[in-house]
Amino acid sequence: MTQMDTHQGNPGVTPARSLSERLKDPALLLIPAFAFLGFMYLLPLIDLMQTSVEGDPWWADLQRVLSVPLYFDSLVRTMNIALTVALLCALIGYPAALLIQRTKGITQVLVAMAIILPYFIAILIRTYAWMVLLGRNGPINKFAVWIGAFDEPVGLLFNRGSVLLGMTAVLLPIMVLSIYSSLSRLDPALVRAAMANGAGPLAAFWRVLLPLTLPGVGAGFLLVFVQALGFFITPSLLGGPGDMMFAMHITQQADSITGEGFLQALAVVLLVLTLIVVAVAGRFLGFEFIWGGERKAPMPKARETLDRPKPSRGGVKEALADRAGWPLLRWLGALNARWGEWTVRVLAICVIATLVLPIVVVMIISFSKASYLTFPPTEYSLRWYEKFFSDRNWMSAFWNSLFIALMSAGISVTLGATAAMGIVRSSIRGKSTLMLLLVSPIIVPPVVLGLSLYSLFLKFDMVGTYWGLAAAHSIGGIPIVVVIVAAALQGVDRRLEQGAAVHGASPLTVFRKVTLPAIAPGLGAAVFFAFLHSFDELVLTLFLSSPRMKTLPLMLWGDINYQLNPVLAVVSTLEVLLVVGGIILARPVFARARADT
Amino acid sequence: MTLKLADPVVVPGGADARRDDVSRAGIGSGITIENVTKRYGAFVAADRICLDIQPGEFVTLLGPSGSGKTTLLNLLAGFQRVDGGEIRVDGKPIQNVPVHKRGFGMVFQSYALFPNMTVAQNVGFPMRMAGISRADSDRRVAETLGMMQLSDSAAKMPSEMSGGQQQRVAIARSIVMRPKVVLMDEPLSALDRRLRESIQMEIRDLHRTIGSTFLFVTHDQSEALTMSDRIAVMDAGRIIQVDRPETIYRQPCNRFVAGFVGESNLIDAEIVRREGAALVLRTKTGHLFRSPAPDEVSGRNVTVLVRPERLILSDVPGQESIPARVKSALFLGEILRIEVTLDSGETLLVRCSDSAGQTLPTPGSTVHVSWGMSDGWVLA
Ligand SMILES: Nc1ncnc2c1ncn2[C@@H]1O[C@H](COP(=O)(O)OP(=O)(O)O)[C@@H](O)[C@H]1O
Ligand SMILES: [Mg+2]
Repeated sequence: MTQMDTHQGNPGVTPARSLSERLKDPALLLIPAFAFLGFMYLLPLIDLMQTSVEGDPWWADLQRVLSVPLYFDSLVRTMNIALTVALLCALIGYPAALLIQRTKGITQVLVAMAIILPYFIAILIRTYAWMVLLGRNGPINKFAVWIGAFDEPVGLLFNRGSVLLGMTAVLLPIMVLSIYSSLSRLDPALVRAAMANGAGPLAAFWRVLLPLTLPGVGAGFLLVFVQALGFFITPSLLGGPGDMMFAMHITQQADSITGEGFLQALAVVLLVLTLIVVAVAGRFLGFEFIWGGERKAPMPKARETLDRPKPSRGGVKEALADRAGWPLLRWLGALNARWGEWTVRVLAICVIATLVLPIVVVMIISFSKASYLTFPPTEYSLRWYEKFFSDRNWMSAFWNSLFIALMSAGISVTLGATAAMGIVRSSIRGKSTLMLLLVSPIIVPPVVLGLSLYSLFLKFDMVGTYWGLAAAHSIGGIPIVVVIVAAALQGVDRRLEQGAAVHGASPLTVFRKVTLPAIAPGLGAAVFFAFLHSFDELVLTLFLSSPRMKTLPLMLWGDINYQLNPVLAVVSTLEVLLVVGGIILARPVFARARADT
Repeated sequence: MTLKLADPVVVPGGADARRDDVSRAGIGSGITIENVTKRYGAFVAADRICLDIQPGEFVTLLGPSGSGKTTLLNLLAGFQRVDGGEIRVDGKPIQNVPVHKRGFGMVFQSYALFPNMTVAQNVGFPMRMAGISRADSDRRVAETLGMMQLSDSAAKMPSEMSGGQQQRVAIARSIVMRPKVVLMDEPLSALDRRLRESIQMEIRDLHRTIGSTFLFVTHDQSEALTMSDRIAVMDAGRIIQVDRPETIYRQPCNRFVAGFVGESNLIDAEIVRREGAALVLRTKTGHLFRSPAPDEVSGRNVTVLVRPERLILSDVPGQESIPARVKSALFLGEILRIEVTLDSGETLLVRCSDSAGQTLPTPGSTVHVSWGMSDGWVLA
């Protein structure tokens, strides 16, 4: 593996190291995580790619994918939807990020929570909430009929609009966080300087704020775009027959076992497309955007050196700016400044409403007495809670999920934290590449991962086992842990550790007495988020579970497709309470972990 | 407020033309701050502040960190709204004028240069926003960069320049429009001492050249003393004293100002009697001395300020001298810095300039301290 190469690559540098010294090298801590990911993640993906090129000639299956209009059109549609969603997220995410930055105190905490909390609630549940909201008996239809906009309830679901709306709402928090982190790094005096120099709010935004936060917008845009490319749950539930996204074809084909090779070729096309996007983006933004890091970017260079000749390349652009751009900005500056303020506020409040409202509606419906979904409920009862807690199937699914999530959190934290230690503390070369490998599972479409794991699971008879599912979920859990723990470790003052060592503490004692307490909050947050990741995981589980072994998301998935009863609302409410409770308990921890990042 | 830019802009560049263009009485605005109050929740950051600034004046707000200097400057710039009172510029209230239409120049401690623009673009930014033609604006930018000795850096990015250079660019940007008012919030506090002193001089010269009204904020008393026409000393959201630098230094109105501006000896004394324009006072050690009487005194016990350089040390007792014991003596180059302790336990600081025959007194030896009648200042 990579770290081994590095060691053998430069034997001349440290020739006289004894074996025991070599065994103390922190780089060795990387081995468990890489061994695990190598076996569970890289190997299956390589296997998948091999299978996809086993046809004759080798590109036969790939060519078939691209030449069948059904798939080719779907590919184009997928990119189209992903692009639209990313654009929508950027457009409405910016005001929300601005609002977080501009508010203070308790308002800021509330606004930030309203935007970030939904991010930790399962995509499945948030999508379900939209189905409730947009349904025929849902609050939107009810309200529209009540005010007379519609004569009778209209089908708002199962069309392109509802897919875009749902995906945008699901992915929006990523964009807001990305823009916000970029905004919060800016010197607040810059906007003031622009305003003091005669720029109205819009001009200050356009000439100063936007150009300087463009990297954050770009990173958010790409994260959203890449995730949207592999989206499966939301378009399946909210889309109509004309909105099939590429990932959906893969699961569909997986069910109706067509020819070996063709299925894999479908997955490889999606994977390669994703990797190309990430690679191109990485060249411009630095690959750090994947884990929310900031590239130590070289500051912008002067385009021309001394005495820039005026009517050069910039001439046309400059003339255009003088004729149209600046006058427009000046004209807008003449408008009342309150307008801009209110635009930001109204837009941001709409954003918060789209994020929070569906969840609130679902929570209310869980207390309904009716056996079908209607809002507002005519009568309230705990009937569906009783049903959930007394139903053997639901309860066994719940316990399965809990066991698997606990196991997966254990695996993720053990492997992820040691790997983070190895990355931060060793002097190994190519750290960014190693980090990229460790966090890369985030960007691989879950459908592709699930398909690739399926053959591995068949081979080793792991389908439907606790350990198998926990291990599969850890593929996505490890990156979460690595990012959080590495950030926490970087916050630990090395000198404290060295001081303890000077006073005769053994390395293990130093770790226990100095390092561990310092990163404990980060570790706590890592455990929680790794747990949630597994607890909410659906797509891998769809591929890897057996009929006898159902998890909570799997039960939800089955029921959503089969009947929309209020038990789903009960499960959703419980999940929201779990997330809110966990985050409120961990809030100090969480705040620290984020501050360190 | 509208900007009368037309006139200055058409004036061709060149040192002579500039000098004629900007007579001192030129473009500065008068500013009236009347009972201005700003609250953050229950906390009062600016407490009924009153300040009258003459057109073309250089006024410094001086005070410790947290005393409300930035708050007052931000109220003036329009970044925050006043909670009470009124600010008038040239007699017109400006509360309802948004920041970008106030037309003030502003310099920030963090430079706040736009990192995405070159030096020339940064300095030209206010001109773009004001809609001045490219030709006029280029000429004015070049001229202003010349004034700040930045002509060679026009095409550089701010990140390629040193801190001092960046602040020069920020100053150029704040004056390129020849604004009626220039606000500077601790512009030099991020720079090292030498650089700070040279830019202090540049700012003074600039003020003289363009004739705008300058409101300068600092927590550094020596900076305030060297630069200002008048100093407004602030503490806890209030203005304590507004006066010319030498008045602030020689005749501070209370212990706070005396202690904050320059080094000071504060001697507790008791009023014995009044003799015309002078007071006869008794120190705790029982010695009598005279000081000019202030306008009003309340009570018998007062504090007398004597600056360290006004104290005279002598080996032999004289009239009205007080015996003291040398605590420490330091040779600092051009001056000697000596601490002496009185019998009452009070410690006095003495500064005298170095001269040929002078020897440093040895710690523990006895000396006699005295000062002239006009060297003491009775604090009310
Ligand atoms: N936006 C704000 N919210 C609450 N308190 C503030 C705010 N801005 C300043 N303060 C408080 O007002 C006081 C004065 O601040 P400031 O004007 O920045 O002082 P200075 O510039 O003299 O150091 C400080 O105690 C500061 O904590
Ligand atoms: Mg300040």
